[in-house]
Amino acid sequence: MKITFVLNGRSRTIDAPPLARLLDVLRGTLGLTGTKEGCGEGECGSCTVLLDGVPVNACLVAAGQCDGRTVLTVEGLENKDGLSDLQDAFVTEGGAQCGICTPGFLMAARALLAGNPQPGEGEIREGIAGNVCRCTGYQRIVESIRHAGKERASREPG
Amino acid sequence: MNPAEIALHPFERPASLAELCRTLSTRAVRKEKTVLLAGGTDWIVERRLAPLESPDDLPLVLDVSRLPEMRAIHVAKEHAAIGAAATFLEIKSHPVLSRRVPVLTAMAREVGAVQIQARGTLGGNLATASPAADGAAALMALDADVVLASVTGERRVPLTQFFTGYRATRRAENEAIVRVEFALPRTGAHQMWRKVGTRAAQAISKVAFAAVVELEHGRGVRAGFGMASVAPVTASLPTVRALALAPNLASVSEQELEAATRRDITPIDDLRSTAAYRAHVAVALVKCFFRSLRTAIGS
Repeated sequence: MKITFVLNGRSRTIDAPPLARLLDVLRGTLGLTGTKEGCGEGECGSCTVLLDGVPVNACLVAAGQCDGRTVLTVEGLENKDGLSDLQDAFVTEGGAQCGICTPGFLMAARALLAGNPQPGEGEIREGIAGNVCRCTGYQRIVESIRHAGKERASREPG
Repeated sequence: MNPAEIALHPFERPASLAELCRTLSTRAVRKEKTVLLAGGTDWIVERRLAPLESPDDLPLVLDVSRLPEMRAIHVAKEHAAIGAAATFLEIKSHPVLSRRVPVLTAMAREVGAVQIQARGTLGGNLATASPAADGAAALMALDADVVLASVTGERRVPLTQFFTGYRATRRAENEAIVRVEFALPRTGAHQMWRKVGTRAAQAISKVAFAAVVELEHGRGVRAGFGMASVAPVTASLPTVRALALAPNLASVSEQELEAATRRDITPIDDLRSTAAYRAHVAVALVKCFFRSLRTAIGS
């Protein structure tokens, strides 16, 4: 099936089985290996991408269901100057250790901050509740997201 | 089946409900298997656990996730209609539902983390008919009707009669669940949602409890309950409901509540919990809710 969607800001048309997992299409067909597979059953959030701006587990999304829609992966976070402010915050606050869960956390955090620019700790923890990390104990991830929100607010004019 | 094998299923995206019903009808007559796919949070996971089938025998997958007729949420003055393919995230974010039906929006917030909320649907919950489904428990407390569509039109089935056994429903092969409907609880109705599981997000319930009771002059005038993971189907707790509607609601004893709850459930030991723990939690949740009713009556 021909599937056309906007991937990281660019329109793409691929030929893939409609019930192929979005995860496999991204990593295989499109070579975007930033999105990771953890559990493969929607529990761990490692494969989180944004579908029309909303976090979903790419292991549970059929590629055919993405036709005509917008997908953002971790590769789409960078801007022309390099890492996004959110990614920078994970670096400076130590939000990443082994790194397997990091792309998923970044995507969940991106969606959270888009709807709630300065979330409190409880809101951050709820926003990343679908993402599992076995290294950090989560505190550094929470700090990274809070830091990114504060940095953005401090840059706001006025 | 591995993901590559799941990818072999034939797939179509009907453009309208009418087209969906025609396809379902034709295939039902020919005894061909069809699956309606919305968010895939159950089906895709379960297919991975299923044994490999012959490629000629794979069901046709019909994507209903974007059918306008199945996505809409309509809330009128005293009535709500929620499309079977509306997502839990859309339900959670609906301003009128969160004000008038907190039992439903609290469920939608806890059914899974945002990634699951963004995909999962009430229609999926009802079609899969797992007794652990949070959505079915909340709808049971709201006394919802399930609206089924086919080429011959629509029919309504009260949710209390919809489940016929473990993972079995009254939906016929040629029918699609299009929406659920229920009367909005009046402002000030007592509503409770509690989910007991191992993780706040992403856990399938050990027990989940939903309750909706309207009081008038110290009497229950509307009462509905739903409990997940305590019986082969979502439990509607009829004996507990009768107590909520009894004239002596204010003086119903803890012993009566415990006996009623135990009569209404048949919990089992499984990988998530034990029958004894489930019964203990079920009784505690019912008592907790009735305490809030007695407090309201007393004040």
